[in-house]
Amino acid sequence: MESEKKARNKLSRRDITKLGLLSLFNQSGMNYQRMQADGWTFAMIPSLKKVYGDDKKGLIEAVKSNLQFINTNNYAAPLLMGLEASLEENGEERSTIDGLRVALFGPIAGIGDAITWYTILPIVAGVTASFAKQGSILGPLVFFIVYVAMFLARIPIAHLGYSAGTKAISKIHENSAIVAHAASVLGCTVIGGLIATYVQIDVVTKIQVTSSHTISIQKEFFDNIFPNILPLGYTFLLYWLLKKKNVNPVTLIILTFLLSILFSWMGVL
Amino acid sequence: MAVTLTQGVLIAIFAIIAGIDFWLEGFYIFRPMIVCTVTGFLLGDLKLGIIAGGLTELAFAGLTPVGGTQPPNPIMAGIMTVVIAHTTGNSPATAIGLSLPFSILMQYIILFCYSIFSVFTKKADEYVAKGEFRKFGMIVLLPTVLVALLYSAFSFLSVYGAQNLMKTLVNSMPTWLSHGFTIAGGILPAVGFGLLLKSMLKVKYVPYLLLGFTAACFIKFGNLMPVAIIGASLAWIEYGREKKEQEVNKKFKNMEKSLENVGGEEDGI
Repeated sequence: MESEKKARNKLSRRDITKLGLLSLFNQSGMNYQRMQADGWTFAMIPSLKKVYGDDKKGLIEAVKSNLQFINTNNYAAPLLMGLEASLEENGEERSTIDGLRVALFGPIAGIGDAITWYTILPIVAGVTASFAKQGSILGPLVFFIVYVAMFLARIPIAHLGYSAGTKAISKIHENSAIVAHAASVLGCTVIGGLIATYVQIDVVTKIQVTSSHTISIQKEFFDNIFPNILPLGYTFLLYWLLKKKNVNPVTLIILTFLLSILFSWMGVL
Repeated sequence: MAVTLTQGVLIAIFAIIAGIDFWLEGFYIFRPMIVCTVTGFLLGDLKLGIIAGGLTELAFAGLTPVGGTQPPNPIMAGIMTVVIAHTTGNSPATAIGLSLPFSILMQYIILFCYSIFSVFTKKADEYVAKGEFRKFGMIVLLPTVLVALLYSAFSFLSVYGAQNLMKTLVNSMPTWLSHGFTIAGGILPAVGFGLLLKSMLKVKYVPYLLLGFTAACFIKFGNLMPVAIIGASLAWIEYGREKKEQEVNKKFKNMEKSLENVGGEEDGI
């Protein structure tokens, strides 16, 4: 296994600092199909370029594998970016890197959201609003300073992710194939959870049985078979179309869009 | 007091900056605290801006874009609260309510953008496949530019050109259309997961996908941490099992080798 690993270029401290700053663009290409994937990749490219050096083919493969659904908290993103950069630098298996990224972005988003949106924002907003309501410029000023500091915090966060990755790597090295397998197990489990939480299809149609009794198709039919059965079914349908029929993703996006508006108009969804 | 053309243009320019900031979640300039203050400053009534900022910030404190949901737009709420209070003489508290149609319409425009920007992903993939990273960067940043233009146009029209027209537009948009956008937003991640599964899912990982799905369906919790813990436990179990198997295989091979060696020596005799 060791012999398969190619020597990669090392990232300097400045590279990781740059990565932390570039994480600002995490949401630049935001879209519902794969959320932050494009912006995430945009931020990762300079690091990947340095790591892969002349290996253009390897670079393209690495960039491609970053262009997958990701949606995480914006202050947690540099942590995960730093971690991924350290794994890339050490030439870990593609499936290990992808599995870890997919498995981690959800949970760290939960932690990040809890800290940034549910703790820091209410405290900062509450304190500064009390100044502002009296017409004091201190309110908006303090608010602004806090969030400039939050932006700069992206740099140490990226370094933290990078050093955490470097420490974990020596262990991963010993059994890369097994680690890749375990990472895929973790990744697929989390994707299953993501499907259940992110994809939302609710049928609102009700069938009138008698004048006083109606049956809700969602509550009394689909939810009784299994909750979220429609999201799972639709995801698998799309997976099948993509994998076996080689359908263009854009076609599926437009199809989903048109179906949504049609069903909304018909009053089904 | 009416808004002058110069003030309208200045507010539109500020809306571009705040709009980009909201899109990237960079410096929190997009929060009502800052938006109101700056708008008040541009209208020559800084104190009104600061007071409105405190009130609107608190009104929007609970409305956060967590987990891919979109609250009513804080930028348009901030701008219009101050503009309405300034032009009509209403108190900032009343103006918050009157600004709501504008912030809801902008919310729908952003939701529409999230959906429609999915069409850029194919082009982005093509550029990466060809190794044209500069063009990839441009297509990743394109959504940010488009959103910035939308903000400037929408805020200019709301502030200066056509306040009344905007209000009518908001009230006359058919609900099935706006509801359709909301539904599409809920279903589109399925395309992203379909693509993710296309590259990650093997038949042997299907059980883990189903386990993660089922866990997320029945564990009601704010984030995916429980599913990630289950996934990590499964990965741990698998890791131990595979490692044991590897050691047994190694021993078996060694034994085989030593047996062969023994056989070889016998032949030699």
